[in-house]
Amino acid sequence: MGIPIQPPRFDTDLLKPFYEGLAKGELWLTADAETGAWIWYPPEIVPGRPHATLAWRRASETGVVYTFTRVERSLLPGDHKAEVPFTVVLVEPDDAPGCRVPGLFVAADEASVACGLKVRLHPVQAGDHVVAGFAPA
Amino acid sequence: MQPGRVAITGVGETPMVRASKQSLLEMTVEASLAAIADAGLRPQDIDGFVVNRNSHSADELGFAMGIERRPFSAITDTVGGTGPTGSALTLAQLAIEAGLCRHVLVPYGFQATRPGGPYGFHSREPLKADLEMPVGFFGQATYFAAMANRYAHEYGLSEEQLAAVSITFRKWATLTPGAQKREPMDLDAYRASPMISTPFRVADCCLMTDAGAAYVVSRADAAADAPHPRVLVQGLGLGTTGYPQSIMFTQPASIFDYPGRESAAQAFAMAGVGAKDLDLAQIYDGFSISALVQTEQLGLCDEGQGGRFYAEGHAMPGGRMPVNTSGGHMSGGYLPGITLLIEGVRQLRGQRGEAQVPDAKLCAVTGLGGNSHATTILARS
Repeated sequence: MGIPIQPPRFDTDLLKPFYEGLAKGELWLTADAETGAWIWYPPEIVPGRPHATLAWRRASETGVVYTFTRVERSLLPGDHKAEVPFTVVLVEPDDAPGCRVPGLFVAADEASVACGLKVRLHPVQAGDHVVAGFAPA
Repeated sequence: MQPGRVAITGVGETPMVRASKQSLLEMTVEASLAAIADAGLRPQDIDGFVVNRNSHSADELGFAMGIERRPFSAITDTVGGTGPTGSALTLAQLAIEAGLCRHVLVPYGFQATRPGGPYGFHSREPLKADLEMPVGFFGQATYFAAMANRYAHEYGLSEEQLAAVSITFRKWATLTPGAQKREPMDLDAYRASPMISTPFRVADCCLMTDAGAAYVVSRADAAADAPHPRVLVQGLGLGTTGYPQSIMFTQPASIFDYPGRESAAQAFAMAGVGAKDLDLAQIYDGFSISALVQTEQLGLCDEGQGGRFYAEGHAMPGGRMPVNTSGGHMSGGYLPGITLLIEGVRQLRGQRGEAQVPDAKLCAVTGLGGNSHATTILARS
């Protein structure tokens, strides 16, 4: 499989805890600091509650593939011809249903990907950074 | 808003090409002047503008066309195919019904080949830059391909059924002078099209187009002496979801549940007709899957039956419900929404030559853009 090399841009520090979690093999998502309810992706303002704050909460490292696609022509800015093909999945962690985490699908047989497939977090080294990846559970 | 109060009296566009030497302003003005002339009007007769938020302002366009008096101008806040179709028509009708103006110009220019291309605005989203681009989940073809795989999981969708969408629109393009892709395409040719993001091949995607297009909306009674048969706006509907651009491709409960049913219900209610009354439809085809889903949402077939609808040939020339009769955006050219609306007008005027749908009286036009969706019902007067 190919690996896209496109480091997170980090215009702000907002998503840094997500990557700090991945580096430890953990999946951390955002939630309402007061109620603990998942709010993902983290919005600049919590919908309908502009003064609410977000907190990071560890999610299950196992989940289910919501959908996927195998990218054969990367549309990322710049030249990424050497990095294809790769398969991207949107995964719903078991304890955060409805929250979808984009990641690379890591498997000997990439064609085994399917909606509903059970997967486990499997961070991927992409150049000098780590990105989200999921392998069959 | 009442049905039949405004008419589309003029339409115009520049050639659909992959890369134009003309500037965006030149193409937009050329198309606008063509639309004004098609309406039998002079530029000075235009007293209203509805421009797109991503395009030139009415100030710049008015100056370029020598239009000084401009009692009404507005900018559409919706994007993609919604802005220049239902949203622009709604604003134009509101202004005309309120008595602010008589002839509203809706100009539109698009350059797929501009720096950053059609993907640039997605890369500016911080959440995409931090969560999606690092794993290669990027670009419209990839987002919609993921929708197609989920749709297939929920309803079933064969390669032949998905291909039938592209093959249908291509068939219409072969009958359309000026369409960007006119070479015939069968299933073998479809399968030879390069894969971009499974299940999407190049043939499942809208084209890269540089062009301008425009139309004139007139008070219906001011259109009585227009040179062409009047095409009345009978129904307008606008649907939205609560998801902004940053999360709409990943987090909605269903990623392919566009607000097309909502917009269609509004438009049909205003027009006092239903899907069964339509003679043809122009459906926003950014991608094969989005056209297929909107076909269901418009009510041309049942939910989950879009693949079968296209595979059985109902939308083909001679079929019971022709769809995208100029090749749509996937074979005709990609000026979001507006070229579909223009095609609807020409069909209802009876100007489409080989691709003319016999006795076309009622046409639906849909537009999808961001989290919004527009349905418009046009009728021959």
